Amino acid sequence: MTIRTIEVREKVMARNDELAAEVRKRLSAHHVGALNLVSAPGSGKTLLLERTLERLGDELSLAVIAGDVQTQNDADRLARHTDRLVQAVVTHGGCHLDARQVLVALEALDLQATDLVFIENVGNLVCPASWDLGETAKVVVFSVTEGEDKPLKYPKMFQQARYAVLNKIDLLPHVPFDLDLAVHHAHAVNADLRFFLTSALTGEGIEEWCDFVRACARSALPV
Amino acid sequence: MHELSLAVEICRIAERAVGPGRTRRIREVTVEVGDDAGVEPSNLSFCLETLLDEPPFHHARPRLVRETGDALRVCSLEVDDDDPDD
Repeated sequence: MTIRTIEVREKVMARNDELAAEVRKRLSAHHVGALNLVSAPGSGKTLLLERTLERLGDELSLAVIAGDVQTQNDADRLARHTDRLVQAVVTHGGCHLDARQVLVALEALDLQATDLVFIENVGNLVCPASWDLGETAKVVVFSVTEGEDKPLKYPKMFQQARYAVLNKIDLLPHVPFDLDLAVHHAHAVNADLRFFLTSALTGEGIEEWCDFVRACARSALPV
Repeated sequence: MHELSLAVEICRIAERAVGPGRTRRIREVTVEVGDDAGVEPSNLSFCLETLLDEPPFHHARPRLVRETGDALRVCSLEVDDDDPDD
């Protein structure tokens, strides 16, 4: 028996990172940014995107890559609000999108005629934090029904995100949620996190969010 | 599920490192796992044990080494150059 050791020293995520770099290169070549929306299930990502497409669909060319564990329900909902292509990615049980799936989805998008790409990730605040999709920035969405300590429970996601949307603020009078404490916790893990307070249901705060989306579309890279 | 995806990728890296058709040589796969890597080590170890026990691997063992930070890399492979299939 001749035993020897082979040094490998290869990052497990190396292949995904290569593909994410390719996504970034393609987006950059067309001066298009991409926002990766991440959240727990039920925080309101899809409704936020529906409101965004309703408001900005005539003004901007917004494309959406909608990830879902099963079903195309979210992509179907979004497609009702835009003539632009909504590309569905069904992970069939997978808990996150990876860069390969985004690269394949980009093939179906006319980036030359696109101002901004939204990626709606699978509802999960753990795994998507570890997968670079080639996005310009991650936007973490959470809601007032989820508890103020969400940023402390899922610090990696809040550290990775550049923006946070606190959604369902119309419910603040009805739930025991301390808004200031939630923002304090979020800034404790990521001091640079920029907040948007929204109710995708009533439209409160959506205009400020849409102003941000407009700025992202115009400035392309970096967001 | 997340750890299973990572385990599959670790096996792919190991297979490439030894060359096609030579996975029976691998005795041990050492993986560095950072505390902030977003990985549950016992879950990853379980997934690796399952995959490395099946063809094309031949009862290889995973060895996880805990690190600080977010490192997650295949560090080394222990191989047997006298595999009887050669």
